[in-house]
Amino acid sequence: MTTDVELDVWREQWQADTAVPLNLRRNVERQSRLMKIGLVSDTIVTIVMGGGTTALALRSPGTDFVLVAIATWLFLAAAWAFVLTANRGLWTPSAIDTAAFVNLSVRRCRSVLATLWFAAGLFLCEVGFGLGWAYNHAIKGHETLLSWLLFSSLCIDVAWIFTVAFFGAIVWYQRKKRAELASLLELRREMAGPTTEAQEVQSSAWNGLFGLRAGRLRGSKKKRPI
Amino acid sequence: MLDRASLDRAIQERHFERILAANGPALSRLAASYTNTLSDRDDLLQEIAVAIWQALPRFRGECSERTFAFRIAHNRGITHLTRARARAGGSIEDEEIEVHDPAPGPESDLAQRQRADRLRQAVHRLPVAYRQVIMLTLEGLGYGEISEVLGISESNVGVRLNRARQLLRDLLENRK
Repeated sequence: MTTDVELDVWREQWQADTAVPLNLRRNVERQSRLMKIGLVSDTIVTIVMGGGTTALALRSPGTDFVLVAIATWLFLAAAWAFVLTANRGLWTPSAIDTAAFVNLSVRRCRSVLATLWFAAGLFLCEVGFGLGWAYNHAIKGHETLLSWLLFSSLCIDVAWIFTVAFFGAIVWYQRKKRAELASLLELRREMAGPTTEAQEVQSSAWNGLFGLRAGRLRGSKKKRPI
Repeated sequence: MLDRASLDRAIQERHFERILAANGPALSRLAASYTNTLSDRDDLLQEIAVAIWQALPRFRGECSERTFAFRIAHNRGITHLTRARARAGGSIEDEEIEVHDPAPGPESDLAQRQRADRLRQAVHRLPVAYRQVIMLTLEGLGYGEISEVLGISESNVGVRLNRARQLLRDLLENRK
């Protein structure tokens, strides 16, 4: 072995400590972009839906559309509360190493799975409210509720088709995410063996470093007792 | 509209984050090589980050950002060792550091990871003067940059590096 090769081998081993595989890093970056896009989309939906129903309530006489506006804002508030809670701490990895990136991917995956459940529940509530409200204002003449739900209008039929497609998509995406989570957990096991806790402790080193933003640096440095 | 001070501050923040992002893993390894425990490494990393932030306004681009960050980090590392030895009552040259668990590497191959672990432990056992030179070499710095970081001549870097490599080879072969 020549000395240069020896040095190259050592260098590779030395730097392997915290080198994040490119595909993992790109995956995390792509997820971060999607999260940002999701946040912007949620904001737009909030403005359009909340603003639209509020405007409708202000222009229309009676309390019917006020009820729709109130319900819309309640659904939006519930969605925002969930999204903000679910995304907390998921924007950046706690460290620039493989373990932290894998941990972040695992947490994001779990968050998406929880979000799917929440989205399904919220959607059912919205559909229930929407149908109830529409039935209340429907032109009477159908013999039963079932006939109204199935045959009263094209809009309601489209809503049913959309509901089936929505739940189909949720089931498909949930399976995909579960498979991804399983492979990530397997990767984490391979990497860490029984030392997951040690990794998280180690990642906290970078929490400290990256957590030191300008505002906190201005004053005094944080010093923990040894 | 942003005033001048806010603008300068924003630029400094971006600069700071860029330096940390670019040199983060290396600084982490460097801090680990000066400390015994994860807690100490956390503290040293924070000290390094604070020192980089404080020194940024004086950075004039006379050296690379990497050299700038490493120089500060090594100075902080030496200060850390000096303090630790003062508490223990010895000199930094005979510092014996117990290696903590290294971070898991991306390799799934256990043997490869074990070799990397052995290397880190061996580097940890080198005397500080040699440890610094070999660490910077393993981080990819050339003689010129190392001499800037450590404030020694390039020929001195070469001498130390040769000696460090010899010691490292012995440690790895003999597993002393």
